[in-house]
Amino acid sequence: MPAPNRRKNRVWTVVTVLFFLGPAMFGFGTKFYELVQVFRGDASGAFAVTPIVNYLLAGCGFLLLFGWAAKNGMFRDIEQPKFLMLENENRLDAVERSAAPHA
Amino acid sequence: MNAPEMESSSAIGPESAADLERLVERKLVLWYYFAALTYLIVSMLGGLLMALQLIQCNELQGIELLSPGRWRMLHTNAIAYGFLANAFLGTLHWAIPRLTMRPVLSKPLSYLIFAAWQIVVVSTAVGILLGQAQAVEWGETPVWIDPVALLGLLLVAVNFMAPIAGAKGPMYVSLWYFMAAFVWTFLTYAMGNFIPQYVVCGTNAGAIAGLFIHDLVGLFVTPLGWGLMYYFVPILLKKPIWSHGLSLVGFWGLAFFYPLQGIHHFLYTPIPMFLQYGAVISTIAVEFVVATVIVNFFGTLYGSGRAVVTNLPIRWFYTGMILYFVTCFQCALQVTLTFQQLIHFTDWVVGHAHLVMFGVFSQWLLGIMTYLIPRLTGKEWYSRTLCEWHYWLSATSIVVMFLDLTMAGLFQGWSWSSMQYWDHSTQVSQPFWIVRVFAGLAMFSGQIVFIYNIYRTLSGPRTAPATGLQPATA
Repeated sequence: MPAPNRRKNRVWTVVTVLFFLGPAMFGFGTKFYELVQVFRGDASGAFAVTPIVNYLLAGCGFLLLFGWAAKNGMFRDIEQPKFLMLENENRLDAVERSAAPHA
Repeated sequence: MNAPEMESSSAIGPESAADLERLVERKLVLWYYFAALTYLIVSMLGGLLMALQLIQCNELQGIELLSPGRWRMLHTNAIAYGFLANAFLGTLHWAIPRLTMRPVLSKPLSYLIFAAWQIVVVSTAVGILLGQAQAVEWGETPVWIDPVALLGLLLVAVNFMAPIAGAKGPMYVSLWYFMAAFVWTFLTYAMGNFIPQYVVCGTNAGAIAGLFIHDLVGLFVTPLGWGLMYYFVPILLKKPIWSHGLSLVGFWGLAFFYPLQGIHHFLYTPIPMFLQYGAVISTIAVEFVVATVIVNFFGTLYGSGRAVVTNLPIRWFYTGMILYFVTCFQCALQVTLTFQQLIHFTDWVVGHAHLVMFGVFSQWLLGIMTYLIPRLTGKEWYSRTLCEWHYWLSATSIVVMFLDLTMAGLFQGWSWSSMQYWDHSTQVSQPFWIVRVFAGLAMFSGQIVFIYNIYRTLSGPRTAPATGLQPATA
């Protein structure tokens, strides 16, 4: 891809990400603040924390997995796996067909 | 993936029939299917008994072991852990080795897991009938069987993760879904069955139970179901999925949005409102993710639309997908506080659950069985007409049941909200409950037809082509 196009794409990506992530992070931040207030203000507020902690643990796990996947090139040639899967399946079918007694 | 890596990935795999036999344990897949269909019949019998009970026809009245509360739990547990889990495990023994070109970690372990899982399901049924159900919805497995079930899920994860971990290069989307499902199911089962039982109580336990109910559908059944669709649809249509990139958007969207949804089962409870709102918003967010998945599959079908008419497994799959979209769209509406005021505790929810469990996932699995059984046995279907009957009885009856229960739910909600006496709502429900019995009977007969067809197919001689590569057509 030519360099100016690449830069244009990058700018668009950043703008789009900010457009979605900005309000989302603001919403998350205020709600998280509310959660901390609930937990501090009421001893039984712990019940609000359990599902959130569950979600945060799961979310962090997936964020780490996403980072690992990106770092290991899982998204580099993003359409390639769909062709390879079909190719492998065809090879397996060919072996099966050649082994079939009435083929 | 660069070119040399790709070459090495595609160079591995079986070169002869013997290699192919080592790759997939076909006998075990069939065993899983037989077990699954047995539990499907048990579950449907439970459902029919419950439907008859609601129209005041209970021939088993007075028998404690077969009281409605117990067989209702038998109905739900047999479908989740008996039918769906067995059918998924069987199909995964076919799909994962073929996707990774590597067999599962250990075939003896696979057989051990098969035996252990049947013990778990039968013990659950016996425990429920004896009145030992655990007080967690969809997690009624008696507490003494929970550790065994959890160990079984751990072994399943280990057995299937080995070939996935060994696969080289960027993973196909199905493997992402499967991998996540193994981790999610283990964690979800542990969370739902142990935390409310031993760690927390009251509203806290309610919040956890809400997460468990929904995560069981979204993090066990959904990723396995979609993972299998991403595998079977392209190989049956003989063309790749429309966009692999979009399919990954669907996967990561599910991963990040789904785990917070469960609290939408407990709107208007003492759980703080910001948690309830969070659940509502994340549920609606998932509908956008679902839309990407549906667009991707219909993009794949584009140009091959006739396959829906001629290729029966594809018809099963796409029927399930349309119903999945309907159920998710319904979900985005019904999680709002406005809808909940009217439909909470009504048959609307029962209709929704049936649409998801039978209309989507069971239909996908029945479609997979329709495709795979000839390949596993080396015998063409005894009767393709019976295959068609199976499809039409199942698909028509679930749509009728869904519409019927949805309307019943609305009438019940209106009855309650207008402060009518309780009996009024049950009287209003009678016509709907009668229709439900007939829809259930039609659905049940569809499965009997399928089992009869399997029996006649297995009794017949091997037919050409033994690979069963021709799709089951009308």
